[in-house]
Amino acid sequence: MIRQPNAVDFWRGFALITIFINHIPGLYFETFTHKNVSISDSADLFVFLAGWALRLSVGGPNDPTPTGRLLSRLGGRVVKIYSAQLLISCLAIAMLAKAAAYFQNPLLLEWHNAAAIFYDPINAHLGLVLLTYQLGYFDILPLYVVLMMLAPVLVLIYRFAPGVLLPLSFSIYACALIFEVCPQSWPTSGTWFFNPLAWQFLFVLGFLLAGEEWAPGGFLRRHMRALMYIAAPLAVIGALMVQFNWWPDPTAVPEPKLLFIAEKTYMTPVRLIQFLSLLVLFSAAYPYVARRVPPLSQFLSMLGRNSLNVFCVGSLLSLGCQILRFVYDRSVMIDGAILIIGIGVLGLTAWVSEWRGATSSSARSAQSVSYGR
Amino acid sequence: MAWSNVVVSKVGTICVLWPLIAFAPPTSTALAQSAATPPEEPPLSKECQTPGVKLVLDKPLPHTLAALKERKVIKILTIGASASAGMDPSGGGYQDLIEEMLERTVAGLDVKIIDRGISGELASNAAQRLKTEVALTEPDLVLWQVGSNDALAQISADEFSETVTDTIHWLKEHNVDVVLVGLHYVSNLRNDPNYQAIRAALTRIADSEKIIRISRYEAMEIMERMRNASPSQRFDAFALTEEGYSCIAEYVVRAITSAIFLKRPKFQPTN
Repeated sequence: MIRQPNAVDFWRGFALITIFINHIPGLYFETFTHKNVSISDSADLFVFLAGWALRLSVGGPNDPTPTGRLLSRLGGRVVKIYSAQLLISCLAIAMLAKAAAYFQNPLLLEWHNAAAIFYDPINAHLGLVLLTYQLGYFDILPLYVVLMMLAPVLVLIYRFAPGVLLPLSFSIYACALIFEVCPQSWPTSGTWFFNPLAWQFLFVLGFLLAGEEWAPGGFLRRHMRALMYIAAPLAVIGALMVQFNWWPDPTAVPEPKLLFIAEKTYMTPVRLIQFLSLLVLFSAAYPYVARRVPPLSQFLSMLGRNSLNVFCVGSLLSLGCQILRFVYDRSVMIDGAILIIGIGVLGLTAWVSEWRGATSSSARSAQSVSYGR
Repeated sequence: MAWSNVVVSKVGTICVLWPLIAFAPPTSTALAQSAATPPEEPPLSKECQTPGVKLVLDKPLPHTLAALKERKVIKILTIGASASAGMDPSGGGYQDLIEEMLERTVAGLDVKIIDRGISGELASNAAQRLKTEVALTEPDLVLWQVGSNDALAQISADEFSETVTDTIHWLKEHNVDVVLVGLHYVSNLRNDPNYQAIRAALTRIADSEKIIRISRYEAMEIMERMRNASPSQRFDAFALTEEGYSCIAEYVVRAITSAIFLKRPKFQPTN
């Protein structure tokens, strides 16, 4: 049974399209995505909604999903996301290798941090499997894998000591920022682009804010109008900061500096606060979009319902489009074609995923009826 | 084959630097003595020599020199397109080679390389991140590999120039030296207008801002010409790019040592 369009799927679909566009650097339409008027971008939305979706899978207070079944389901989800990460990384490497050989351009081997796989294949393959080696623009799924690996612990804490979850998550986040702790990459130098120690806080916030009506999440949802008065000015200030480059000099802010500057790897408080204010505006906007433009709501919700498949295809498509843009001269026409065809392919991916799901569930029903006879 | 080239190149480098290493004064007094009798300009390995063309122009690195005098430690932040890990068989990138070679060239010098390169990153994104990284790591010198990705992403030369120039001004205002590492040489891109426009823009910026630019493109072009490599020979271009990283390490070491020791008292802009 396919879910009806809803705000979570809609905004997930929105995030998927903007991730696709933003992952083609230099694309003309990149200047129209919300990251140009926002400190945060689609990655924040994606992680927050992943936490929200996890909360929904836990079940309500009256019909909680049995713990054993839940843990098994979460384990399966981790394996699925991990497999997807390995698959798209391998395909991306193959695309870069073929393009480099075909166009006689070794620079393509270095795109997206891929050079290590060609020049240091033994360690790079180990790093790929261990998730310590990540291709550029293919670095959000490793974060998602880690978050989903933590999900069973998160759910168990929530079930047996709900009051502990937020302080624990916040403490880890604060320590990561204050002491600048971030997992190291290997065999390449540097750190993870998305620090899981910091981003887990956003995931937990998504999980908690999706809670029941009596919980803090429910309280905030009931007072959305009042929150708008706080969120709107914050969102406007964030937009002005981005548009007019009104950033404080990062060398002039007090220690610990990460508490006062906008930084993506550590998902710093400035970014987090701006994202939460944007989220309030997004929440208020969905009912209007659903009422006024139902096809848009249906289309983006369809993408959101099949987010993993759409994300994987979108990531590879972005890479393909980057190569295409490198071969042809810069042109708004080509960028327009990329946008239209790209969104079409994402839609087709979601449609095929749902069609396959529907076909296999009807086959299962027919099989069980036949066995019943 | 590629690894063997790198190993040969490294061994060559160490061999030519050996007299400097072997006859360096004891560590405790090394820096004081170095200041009095600066080391000779480190020679380039055979693979990286470009006869008749000066690829590293002597420009000052005042903040790096000050750090050396005060702390005997130089912190170098590398940013921009990340080099591969495989350039050094031990698993480090060309940044590790720089650290190793600098410390061998100048006895007693402690070099800390902080690698924050992100492959594929455009100058505009790197510029924004660079400010944060400078605040967090407080480097004396920024080594910025820039241009190739912008050229591949078809970013206009004007936009690129504005971004890089603004960032260099910001670094100067914050007492941080900068060395630019220019674009790669790819024979197929010799006639690519955007690639060449970005390359020319970077040269102009380095000249007008009086900062060091490692002329990677020119070096690799000469290396290719010297070997009479044919563009139709597919893997020559790949080997050249890989080897180019080892040479960059040598050029960077030469630029830094020249700037802080050999041309210290006076600065005369060169073309």
